[in-house]
Amino acid sequence: MGTTSEQADAEGFFAPVRGSLAAIVALSVVGAVSSVVPFIAVVELARTLLPALDGEAVDTGRVWTIVVIAVIALFAGFGAAFASGAVSHFADAELQLSLRRRIIRHLQRLPLGWFDARSSGTVRKLVENDVTALHQLVAHTIQDVITAVAVPVIGLVYLFAVEWRIALAALLPLVVTIVLYAMMMRGGAEQYRRYDQATTRLSGATVEFVHGIAVVKRFGQLGRSHRRYREAMREYVDFIGQWTRDTALWFTAIEVATSPAVVLAWLLAVGLWLVEAGAAPIDVLPGVLLGLGLSGPLMKLGSSAQFLRNATKAQASLADFLALPPVPQPDSPQEPAGADVGLDRVAFSYDGEHRVLHDITATCRPGTVTALVGASGSGKSTLAKLVPRFYDATAGEVAIGGADVRDTASADLYRRVGFVFQDVQLLRASLRDNIRLTRPDAADEQIERAARAAQIHDRIMRFPRGYDSVVGEDANLSGGEAQRVTIARALLADPPVLVLDEATAFADPDSEAAIQYALSALAADRTVLVIAHRLHTVTGADQILVLDGGRIAERGTHAELLARQGRYARMWADYRANHARSLPEGARG
Amino acid sequence: MIRRLLHHSTPKARRLLIAELAFIVATAVLQGVVFLMLVPLLQALFTGDTAAARTWLLALAATAAACAAAHWTASQIGMRASTAVLDSLLTRLGDRLVELPIAWYATDRSGQTTQLATHGAMFAASAPYAVLRLILAGFITPGTVLAGMYLFDWRLALAMTATVPVMWLVFRWLRRGMERDDAEHAAAVAETSNRVIEFARAQPALRTAADGSIADRLVEDALQRQHRAYRGLLVTGGAGIATFTGVVQLALTVVIVLGAYLAVGGSLEPATFIALLVLGVRFTEPIANSGALGGGVAIANTALGQLDELLALEPLPEPARPREPQDWSIAFEDVTFGYGADPVLRDLSFTAPSGRMTAIVGPSGSGKTTVTKLVARFYDPERGTVRIGGVPVPELGTAAVEAAVAPVFQDVYLFDDTILNNVWIGNPALSRDEVIAAATRARVDEIADRLPDGWDARVGEGGSNLSGGERQRVSIARALLKDAPIVLLDEATSALDIGNEIAIGDAIDAAREGRTMIVVAHRLQTIMTADQILMLDGEGGIRESGTHAELLAADGAYARYWRERVDATGWQLTPTR
Repeated sequence: MGTTSEQADAEGFFAPVRGSLAAIVALSVVGAVSSVVPFIAVVELARTLLPALDGEAVDTGRVWTIVVIAVIALFAGFGAAFASGAVSHFADAELQLSLRRRIIRHLQRLPLGWFDARSSGTVRKLVENDVTALHQLVAHTIQDVITAVAVPVIGLVYLFAVEWRIALAALLPLVVTIVLYAMMMRGGAEQYRRYDQATTRLSGATVEFVHGIAVVKRFGQLGRSHRRYREAMREYVDFIGQWTRDTALWFTAIEVATSPAVVLAWLLAVGLWLVEAGAAPIDVLPGVLLGLGLSGPLMKLGSSAQFLRNATKAQASLADFLALPPVPQPDSPQEPAGADVGLDRVAFSYDGEHRVLHDITATCRPGTVTALVGASGSGKSTLAKLVPRFYDATAGEVAIGGADVRDTASADLYRRVGFVFQDVQLLRASLRDNIRLTRPDAADEQIERAARAAQIHDRIMRFPRGYDSVVGEDANLSGGEAQRVTIARALLADPPVLVLDEATAFADPDSEAAIQYALSALAADRTVLVIAHRLHTVTGADQILVLDGGRIAERGTHAELLARQGRYARMWADYRANHARSLPEGARG
Repeated sequence: MIRRLLHHSTPKARRLLIAELAFIVATAVLQGVVFLMLVPLLQALFTGDTAAARTWLLALAATAAACAAAHWTASQIGMRASTAVLDSLLTRLGDRLVELPIAWYATDRSGQTTQLATHGAMFAASAPYAVLRLILAGFITPGTVLAGMYLFDWRLALAMTATVPVMWLVFRWLRRGMERDDAEHAAAVAETSNRVIEFARAQPALRTAADGSIADRLVEDALQRQHRAYRGLLVTGGAGIATFTGVVQLALTVVIVLGAYLAVGGSLEPATFIALLVLGVRFTEPIANSGALGGGVAIANTALGQLDELLALEPLPEPARPREPQDWSIAFEDVTFGYGADPVLRDLSFTAPSGRMTAIVGPSGSGKTTVTKLVARFYDPERGTVRIGGVPVPELGTAAVEAAVAPVFQDVYLFDDTILNNVWIGNPALSRDEVIAAATRARVDEIADRLPDGWDARVGEGGSNLSGGERQRVSIARALLKDAPIVLLDEATSALDIGNEIAIGDAIDAAREGRTMIVVAHRLQTIMTADQILMLDGEGGIRESGTHAELLAADGAYARYWRERVDATGWQLTPTR
């Protein structure tokens, strides 16, 4: 934290609960004040009753008044503390909901490229751990801090008003607590860092132990992994032991110094000394009563420091996530006309330094297939992903229907561009909902027609609940089947421009043919841009772009490129030679 | 919780734990005694008898010193106990992980186990001092005070005793309600985070959907459900805590009102009353606090429960005297097996001859991989027998099976070490040159050539620097090195580039010489060159079996499958116009 933008974010975080803040503070103060009243009532009760010892009359009316006040204060204090807790917990519930919604909204606006990296772990941590870690901050800390400050202050004010010497004596345990606590926390940050390190090492060893166990068991190498686990564990246990010894000394010192037994003995000793020096016994009583409870709330605050630290870390990681820049949206969106894809001097860099695409210019016409070929790392996948705006070009322009994709409203863009890549994106929802994901208003006949064309209708009908079967619950699909559901989805969405990874055709050898039929049906009458791995699949393409080191090295049809005897012709010859070896006799190649 | 902790501890940790508990109880009782001594001391003080007051103060100070000493000792022992318990728990976990059957690892256990090893064990080990001590003190100190109150005024003591059963019932009810709602909340949290992650993962597909789409609704429903569950938890939890604290306050009210009534009536000494009141107001605090600590016990219990579950798992039966296999043939006799409800394999019978390659083909979900897992004895069949060299696998024993079988599965795990060391695991007795020679036969040399440090290049966590096909080659090299008579191979289904495809073919050729091999086959070349092909029918049985030539001649299901696969290799992406 520190910069103004981050502070603004932090304020934005807590906006949903700001309304409850005043109520939490007020109720906590009332609770703290009323918790002191019963003690004062006991003192006053003693003051009223004690004359009876000397045989004097007791003011019964006053006794009952005090009793009534004490009982009211007892329940008022408890009621206020409870209400403050309730308000803050419900505020925390609202905050959690609003934060999770903000995370969702932000996810919808992030560039699609962000999801290529390992995003699941990040998202899981954000919604599961970080949001929950803020709980301590909102639900407990405000009340804890107010109680830790208000109770000793009110108590001491009262004590000083009654008998300043006993008040001073009551102050001592409080001072001892603060001093010892400060001593204990010296080097705390360093210790926490070492604790995190030891934990990370133990986690790593455990993960390797669990993941690798099948391997090591089979090769008789169990000892090796087990030894690594035991070493990490030994180091962890030793560190924890050492750390506990270091801090427990201080911690126990605080606990003993502030324990009721010790404080009581101390206060009574001072009280007796004061009485012998001439003070009224009744004036000693408040010190004994209130002095006992001064450091309790402070200790509670200390023990919640760990939670507070986690909450602060969580807030920082949430702020970092929400600060990720979203996909820029155009101020005055253009309407694309037609389904041509135009690439004009396109360059791209992932990190802002090393360009992976240079000066790419090409046009793809409706009803034609454009194939991107090249070795892995040549930039063909990156280029294809610029069209559906997974990333934005660093220089140059990617246009659909004459409009730059950056100047096209998202809804317009994704009505025109569809894509089928290797990673299948099915939701745990009915097969019907999965197919009509992008067209919720589609009729059942349309859904079925798409499923038939994608070669998946018959499979779906074999599930007892047909299209109502839920993916991952009563519909367990193989890789190839799931792939065909996504093809059915793309067919139903019917975008005029289609970006396709040819490797999807080989996702599942057992349903290869079916996927291929489905892809052929999908590719009909669109502007198709295909990332090709197996050259024979695109020999019929209208245009082949040969990429090398992020540049277009050659372009043309299969026949033209072969005739040129250049890079593509060499790739084809290599491919043929290898392919022939990997295919059995009798298979066409 | 204590019984479970003791159960999982070494004798040394157990002794420390018991000593710690004894000192915790002593501290709590002594603290109660200190409080009780306040009564005669205050009586003496108010009646002006300073000599008696001084005597009582000395006694009280001595008891307080004893209490502090007990507290200090409890903490010192507690510290050593928690380290010893942590040590016991982690050692026990590690030992258990070694013994568990491989089948347990079939689903990814790393997250759960890591959580248990770090946070779970740590929390459980520190719970006796950090949580249990406070709960014990919360009940024992007030209990001692209550017992002692009978010495001073039996009427007030009796009135307070009457509230105890009420407190106990409310405490039980509070715990039960919170446990129920907590379970519901935990389920809702899991549901929400799964939905949100799914939402993130499917973002590319969802961008093409308009706002308010099906996915938006699913994720919003999950958020709402969690919100409701959390509020529900807050309401029951809040109501429970309110009732409990209310009852505690009521007990205090009884003392104040009854005491005032007796004092005014003259049957209770005012000094005694005041002293008892002082006890009363201080007495209820620890009880009220202990109500909130129940959650800590629940967390510690969760960790211990997980450890209990691990310990309760039954390993596969092992023979007292393992038998020797005659050869390395594999036979299934009427084998039925499933992972739960429906069997995947039903009365499956076949023989894989020794030293030959058997390829298994069939639709996805037909149990191809399950066959290999039964040979490797990840599981034993529900009915029927799996034999190796004529001996039923349970009579050979897991150790013998593990020694004889080299599995090359799809999920190959590589250690975060060099590429050479990852192959070396196959047989650490060999020299570096021998390892490189074997790795070269599995075409791992090409991978090493590609990487900057060659054979000494690190493969990254779980082998993340290598592609799926490359990892499988490393795994085949391990199998070659181990020189096991039986190789089980589950061919990669994901698209391989041509270079990898050929390298894997070469590696398989190197591996099959003189070995019994069972291959879940996807590559056409592997299938057609197998000595025997089993085609599963998708209903747990075999549809056809024989050599490639025989099956093509029979012109049945296999012939159709083969033609379809061969056609697919010639597919071109040309839109139908």
